Amino acid sequence: MNATQFLTIFISAVFIYNVILSRFLGLCSFVAISKETKPALAMSLSVMFVTTMASIITWFIYRFLLIPFGLTYLRTISFILVIATFVQFVEMVIRKISPPMYRFFGIYLPLITVNCAVLGVAVLNVDMFFMNGKAIPGSFYYSLFQGICVGLGYTLAMLLMSGIRERLDLCNVPEAVKDFPLAFIIASIMSLSFLGFNGFKF
Amino acid sequence: MKKFFSEFLRGIIKENPTFVLVLGLCPTLAVSVSVINGIGMGIAATFVLLGSNIIIAMLKNIIPDRVRIPCYIVVIATFVTINEMVMKAYSPALNRALGIYVPLIVVNCIVLGRAEAYASKNSVVNSLFDGLGMGVGFTLALILISAIREFLGAGKLLGHTVIKGFQPAFVLGMPSGALLVIGLLLGFFNVLKSKKE
Amino acid sequence: MKNKFIVSVSPHLHKDESIGKIMWMVVISLIPAGLAGVFIFGLKAFWVIILGVISALVTEAILQKLTKKKVTIWDGSAVLTGLLLAYNLPPQVPFWLPIIGSVFAIAIGKQVFGGLGQNIFNPALVGRVFLMASWPKYMTTFLKPFDAITSATPLALLKEGKLIEHISYLDLFLGKRGGCIGEVCILALLLGALFLFIRGYLSWHIPITYIFSVGLFTYIFGPRGLFTGDWLFHILSGGLILGAFFMATDYVTSPLTRKGQIVFGIGCGLITAVIRLWGGYPEGVSYAILMMNAATPIIDRYTKNKIYGTK
Repeated sequence: MNATQFLTIFISAVFIYNVILSRFLGLCSFVAISKETKPALAMSLSVMFVTTMASIITWFIYRFLLIPFGLTYLRTISFILVIATFVQFVEMVIRKISPPMYRFFGIYLPLITVNCAVLGVAVLNVDMFFMNGKAIPGSFYYSLFQGICVGLGYTLAMLLMSGIRERLDLCNVPEAVKDFPLAFIIASIMSLSFLGFNGFKF
Repeated sequence: MKKFFSEFLRGIIKENPTFVLVLGLCPTLAVSVSVINGIGMGIAATFVLLGSNIIIAMLKNIIPDRVRIPCYIVVIATFVTINEMVMKAYSPALNRALGIYVPLIVVNCIVLGRAEAYASKNSVVNSLFDGLGMGVGFTLALILISAIREFLGAGKLLGHTVIKGFQPAFVLGMPSGALLVIGLLLGFFNVLKSKKE
Repeated sequence: MKNKFIVSVSPHLHKDESIGKIMWMVVISLIPAGLAGVFIFGLKAFWVIILGVISALVTEAILQKLTKKKVTIWDGSAVLTGLLLAYNLPPQVPFWLPIIGSVFAIAIGKQVFGGLGQNIFNPALVGRVFLMASWPKYMTTFLKPFDAITSATPLALLKEGKLIEHISYLDLFLGKRGGCIGEVCILALLLGALFLFIRGYLSWHIPITYIFSVGLFTYIFGPRGLFTGDWLFHILSGGLILGAFFMATDYVTSPLTRKGQIVFGIGCGLITAVIRLWGGYPEGVSYAILMMNAATPIIDRYTKNKIYGTK
């Protein structure tokens, strides 16, 4: 376990292989909830919480349940179930703390369950930090950290997008492309610019 | 009967999952590179959507609200597995082409989205038509997007080169290109809509 | 809703000249670089420039007519976009490349956002990045100066680990190297930038912080260990000078405040250096500027000057 690995994880997850702009996971909520900064940040926090906890829980399940019993092929389905249960829990909490926010998120809150970013980071952790069916040294801490960093990367993309869309709110954009069409085009240009990080080698 | 038909139609135009509801983007971006893949994924997703909508509508009064999402997932995953096995057996080429996105139908926002927003609150027959409509809407969106991307991005349609010497724009084969195509299509539809009014 | 309104709207003008005058001044300041490019690479470069500029004008005119807006193609901004796009292309690209690039730059990079003053991203760079992703082969084939054979750019050679001893700093400065039309002749570019400085149309914050950051970073993370980098080579290579003085400084797509501009410049520099040193591409200027363009609204939000009396 060394510091460079943590630094690499941070820079990769947040910038070089940004979960939304480079890996294209979690796009549904990215295009739908990024219109204003406050809800965008709230959604990002929720997603970061879920990615972090999911990384922890799925790591334990993989290490102590799936590998010992030779059930690694059940990875996807078991991970999804864990995530689903957890998101249900988050939903109950948000419903209690802030009903207006809960109503605002609408369908996109339970959809964190199927947010490709969450399942994506769980699978990524397993692919990166387990070798030949064994956990590499420091595997748990790397996985936990990567879960946090993927959440940070998601937050970064949401922050950038909401800043842009809020600014455009004050301009008179052509009627035809208002809201969603323009959001897609902006996402397209942002991901084109992130192509600059392709082929990265530390 | 008319009501069922309007439920069906709703999923195709007024509440098209890709263009209006903004759901199921991840597989759309990845799969809409060629028309064949688009059609294949559309049919597979429609099957899963139909199955899960029907079962969940049937079970909606039994499933406790506090654990409804994990329960939906189990139902959806079952149909995804059935679909995967059928595909492996009867269309292995398509299965290979769609790759990881076959099992990933389990995280296709459209399926869970409809389960949560519709099937859990409506009758079995209505849910059937909703699932069918959404599935067809998704498939049509996929075909439209992949036709553009395949033609302009790879110079082919359905695998055949259409114009000789055409230099395709590779960006359209990438997710950035897909986002661009969807954005422009959406803008185009808006223009059509405003012209009609 | 109150905190949704910012006091000032971009672009910010510090003099009472119109946007048009500024745009045309920038166009004029870029002419030396274009002349140098044509001199070094031949007539092909000239056609690329002409096609780029004309396509930009035509596209803007058509789009403005279609949306029933006022046709403002002579305000200089379309010409500037077309010119900058052409300057970012290799000299011997097929004729349709600058045309498509300009159309994309004006249509998607600018008009779709509502036209001048409202675009988030530098339109010329949007066009270039689109072309780069669509036709990479054409966009990375360069000509040897004063010749008709292909040659790689110094940065490309560096990325492949090949030796670059035959290119001197003077060669880089004067433009005797493979590269894009408007980026190679540093002398011509600096002359243009000097002109803009003197007339007060350019402030030093972004270009200087950008160039300095690249130099510092590439010096520190040198090829043979820390503090061994050839920072002068990096500053004179690729599209850095063109980008730092003429594209990162675009009023509309860069921050409003001095503090914000410094952050912007450093961000561009860091990203450019990181891509050049460890990324897959030899050059990162276009990507860096576009990424920082995306961050500009957020930078503006957190560096805006406090209005007296409010929180």
